[in-house]
Amino acid sequence: MWLPLLGLILGISLGLLTDIQIPKIYESYLSIAVLAALDTLFGGIRAQLQHVYDDKVFVSGFFFNIALAAALAFLGVHLGVDLYLAAIFAFGVRLFQNIAVIRRILLTKWSERKNA
Amino acid sequence: MKRTVYIRFTIILLIVGFMLSVQYNTVQNPETRDTRDIWAIRQELAKETELHSELLSEVRVLEQTIGKYENMVNESPKIALNDTVEQLEREIGLDDVNSPGLMITVEPSLESMIVGQAIEEISPDLLVRLINEINRFKAKAVEVDGKRIIYSSAIRDVNGKTTVNNLAIRHAPFNIKIGTSTYEDAKKMYNQLEASAIGDDFYIDNLRLVIGEPQHSMSISAYDQTVSKQFLQEVPGGE
Repeated sequence: MWLPLLGLILGISLGLLTDIQIPKIYESYLSIAVLAALDTLFGGIRAQLQHVYDDKVFVSGFFFNIALAAALAFLGVHLGVDLYLAAIFAFGVRLFQNIAVIRRILLTKWSERKNA
Repeated sequence: MKRTVYIRFTIILLIVGFMLSVQYNTVQNPETRDTRDIWAIRQELAKETELHSELLSEVRVLEQTIGKYENMVNESPKIALNDTVEQLEREIGLDDVNSPGLMITVEPSLESMIVGQAIEEISPDLLVRLINEINRFKAKAVEVDGKRIIYSSAIRDVNGKTTVNNLAIRHAPFNIKIGTSTYEDAKKMYNQLEASAIGDDFYIDNLRLVIGEPQHSMSISAYDQTVSKQFLQEVPGGE
């Protein structure tokens, strides 16, 4: 349990300490990539809890989703249509769904343990 | 099995954390770009160099004063102090000045005289603009219609009359005397004033600037009112 948390803290401190900044025009790409990464992450946690977790699906999904979101944003910029909103919407909805499922599973587990 | 899952999650979370903090950095402290081109930077450099040399010359003057004090401290400190007081009075304009300079005459414009328009007073804004323009060309002393301009001189509208040092100035024509450090400076000032667009601003108000030839010697009267001291206080004698 503590290992993934350590990874998160390490990643955040690495980013903050190196003080890396990206140009303003790529800001929207990064924000959408962050959203895609979070979506995949919660999807992975849900899959793990539902015992359907697959390594390949998780890792490929992570990178593919990020690439797809960035590509959609890129296309949107060049077409003059805010296509990144579509990606934000899709990822946002999935994020909420995943979190809801995780919550339900945890609640069921908790009540089962309480009854047992 | 479980161990590899944890490692995968750790790596993914590391990447997510890194991306989050980079995004945070970018949003919180946006990089301000330096958009000055080489000429803007050069100009700023020139300005700083000028300031540097001005400060250096000021330091030299102050060092001279210190040297004078050190020499005279045994003989007569009073002379040295009087010297300094005189110098300070000269600098802020409490002394008559006799120096090279030039005289500007503000006259009604020919057109307004021909048409027969009433001659209007010079507006405080226009006078302030002219004084600023003159000071920009490094004037040493300025006198407007017999009223010496010092650091605290107020040029303003009092009941519809334009005043300098709280004294009303005449309708055109009247004179503005400008004192400079050297005759060369006076010549330079003449050329700069001739070239500047300030004459056009006067023309809008039906006035005309006649810029006189530079002169070798010109007397400018002292500021004749009391200077209000805001911060300095007199030390009682004997202390």
